[in-house]
Amino acid sequence: MASGLDPRDPRFRAQLASRRRFIGGGAAAAAAMILGPSFLAACSSGEKSSSGTSAAPSAPEDDGSPASGKLRVSNWPLYMADGFVAAFQTATGLTVDYKEDFNDNEEWFAKNKEPLSRKQDIGADLVVPSEFMASRLISLGWLNPISEARWTNKKNLRSDLADAKADPSRKFTAPYMSGMVGIAYNRAVVGRDLTKIDDMWDPAFKGKVSLLSDMRDGLGMFLMSQGQSPEDPSTEGVQKAVDVIREQKDKGQIRRFTGNDYADDLAAGNIVVAQAYSGDVVQLQKDNPDLMFVIPESGSSTFVDTMVIPYTTQNQKAAEEWINYIYDRANYAKLVDATRFVPVLTDMTDELTKISPELASNPLINPSTETLAKLKSWAPLSDEQAQEFSKIYADVTGG
Amino acid sequence: MAGVATSNRQRSRIAPYLMILPALAYLAVFYAVPFVSLFRTSLSTMGGSIYLPTLTFAWDFGNYGQALSEYRDQILRSFGYAFAATVLCLLLAFPLAYVIAFKAGRYKNLLLGLVILPFFVTFLIRTIAWKTILADNGWVVSVLDTLHLLPPEGRLLSTSWAVIGGLTYNWIIFMILPLYVSLEKIDARLLEASKDLYATNRRMFGKVILPLAVPGVLAGSLLVFIPSVGDFINADYLGSTKTTMIGNVIQKQFLVIKDYPVAAALSFVLMALILAGVLLYTKALGTEDLV
Repeated sequence: MASGLDPRDPRFRAQLASRRRFIGGGAAAAAAMILGPSFLAACSSGEKSSSGTSAAPSAPEDDGSPASGKLRVSNWPLYMADGFVAAFQTATGLTVDYKEDFNDNEEWFAKNKEPLSRKQDIGADLVVPSEFMASRLISLGWLNPISEARWTNKKNLRSDLADAKADPSRKFTAPYMSGMVGIAYNRAVVGRDLTKIDDMWDPAFKGKVSLLSDMRDGLGMFLMSQGQSPEDPSTEGVQKAVDVIREQKDKGQIRRFTGNDYADDLAAGNIVVAQAYSGDVVQLQKDNPDLMFVIPESGSSTFVDTMVIPYTTQNQKAAEEWINYIYDRANYAKLVDATRFVPVLTDMTDELTKISPELASNPLINPSTETLAKLKSWAPLSDEQAQEFSKIYADVTGG
Repeated sequence: MAGVATSNRQRSRIAPYLMILPALAYLAVFYAVPFVSLFRTSLSTMGGSIYLPTLTFAWDFGNYGQALSEYRDQILRSFGYAFAATVLCLLLAFPLAYVIAFKAGRYKNLLLGLVILPFFVTFLIRTIAWKTILADNGWVVSVLDTLHLLPPEGRLLSTSWAVIGGLTYNWIIFMILPLYVSLEKIDARLLEASKDLYATNRRMFGKVILPLAVPGVLAGSLLVFIPSVGDFINADYLGSTKTTMIGNVIQKQFLVIKDYPVAAALSFVLMALILAGVLLYTKALGTEDLV
C-alpha cells in the first residue's frame, strides 16, 4: 500500500467533503457559472462599443508585385459557375479556397462581428454581402479599399451602379450580381397581363397573393407606388406603403409573407400572384413557361450583392485579382449563365450571345435600359431607420 | 479495519451526489445560465448601435408591458390553437390507445410501431408534406368543395384549420404514448370485478377505466399543449397572415427586429402563462402522478 490513495491517510480524509460542504460548494460553482458569462458579456460588450466606430482603414502597402499564394473566398451557395474557380487558378497561378458558407447577411454578421471588431481573421479574404450589409461594414470601418491599379476592369461596371450612396465611386465594394424585385404571375391562370401594383388587388386573386417578408425587398415597390423612393426613404413614406399592404392583408387578399419559398406555392398554384425575385422566376420558367415577371409601372427595387475585402484579409492583392478577373466580360458571362441574375457589367449582350442567344434575349437576365431606369436601390439606412422600418413592416407581416 | 469501514460508509453517502453531478452541471450550464441570462435581458434596456447593441440591466418592466399590450392577440390565438389541438389529440388518441391496450392482442407492437413510424421523418418535412396534401388544387380540397364542406376562405391551406390540424398531427404521438401506458397498466381483474358487479360497459368505462387513465390524460395534455403554444413552424408553413402565433413573434423579435429585451419578456410571459395553466389543470384533475 505504497500508493498515495490510502484512505486512512488524514490528508485524503480531509478531502472527502461532508454533505453540507458538497452542496454548498455546488451552489457556489453554479452561481459562478451563472454570473460568469454575464460578467464576460458585460466586459466584451463594453469593448465592442468602443471599437465600433474606428477610422476607415487604409489598404496594406502595395509594392506592385504580382499576387501570389492562397485566396479564401466566402460566397453564397449556387452563386458560381462550374469550372470558374479552376480557370481563375490556371490564369493567375493563385490557389483558391472557395467556400459557399454565406447564407444570410444578418446571420453572417452575427457570427463574424466579434472577431471583426477585434480585427481577428474570419477565415475569408473576400466575402459577398448584399449592398446594405457592405455599407454597414464600411461605416464600421471593417473593409479595405480596393486598389484601382489592380481593378483595371472597373470601367466595365454599369454606370447606374458606379456611384452608389452606399459607397460613392465604389471605393470599397465591387458589385457581383444584381437582381430585380417584381411581380410574378401565372399568365394561364390570370388570363391577362398585369402591369401595375393595383392589378395585384383584383378580387379574383383574393387569398392568392404573396409578398416578401424582407423589409427592403417587400417595401420597395410599394414605396414607389406611393410616390416615395427607397433611395430617400422617410418614416411617413414607409408608413404609407405599409398602410397599403395592411389594407389588403385585412381584406384577406394577401395569403402569406414569404422568403424564397413563394416559389413552391407559385408552382403548386396556391399562389397566383407573387412578389418575386427575377432570378427565381428564370429558374421556375423552365418548368412553367406560363410564368411571367413584370416590373410594375410605378417602379420597383433592385438589390446588389457586392464583393468586399475585410480589413482582416490575409491576401489583399489576390482578392483584387479575383475581382478584376470577374470584371472581364467574357469571364463574367459564365457567371451570369450559371446564376441567371442580372449582370452588373455593361454591354453584356455580345458575350452572353456567345454562350446562348436565349440568355441575351431574356429580359429577366439582360433587362432593357428602360426597365433598369424603373429600378431603384435602397439608400443605406441609419441604425435607427433600419430598426424603425423593420419594426413597422414586421407589425404588418407578423400580426 | 474500522477506519476502512467508516470511509466506505462516507463514500456511499457521497456517491449519489457524485452520480447526479453530471446532470446537475448540465442543468446549470444549459438551463439555469440561459434562464437567468434571458431573465436579465427581459429587464434590460438596449443601448449602443443596433448592430452592436449593449444591454444594460435596469429592472425595466416596461418591456413586459409592451410585450403584453402589443402582442395580446397573438398570445390569445396561440393558447386557443394549442387548446384546440390538445382537445383534438385527446379525442383522436384515446380510442386508438384504448384499442392498442385492450383489443390489439398480438398486433399490439405492430400498431405501436406504426404510431411511431412517421416520427422517423423530420418535423419540418412532415409539416411541408401537408402543404401538398392540402394544396388549393389538390384532391382533398376538391372533395370537400363538392361536399360543400370548405371553410369560408374557400381553401384549407393557409387557414386556422390547417394550423390546428398541423399542431394536432405533429404532437399527437405525445398523447398516444402516455395514454397507452396508463391504459396498459390497468389491472384486468378490476375490469372483471366491475363486470361481476353487473356494471354495463359504459359504467365500467366511466367508473373504472377513465379514472385510472387520468394520469395519462394529464401527461399527454401537457406534452401536447406546452410545445403547441410555442410552436412557430406550423403557423409559418400552414398558416396565413392572420394565423401568426406567439412563437412567430418571438422568432421575429429576436432575429429580424432584434429587440432582445421585448423578445425575452415575451418568452417569460409565455412561460408564466403556461406554468399557471399547467398548475390549474393539474389541480383540477387532482393527480400528482404523471403516467
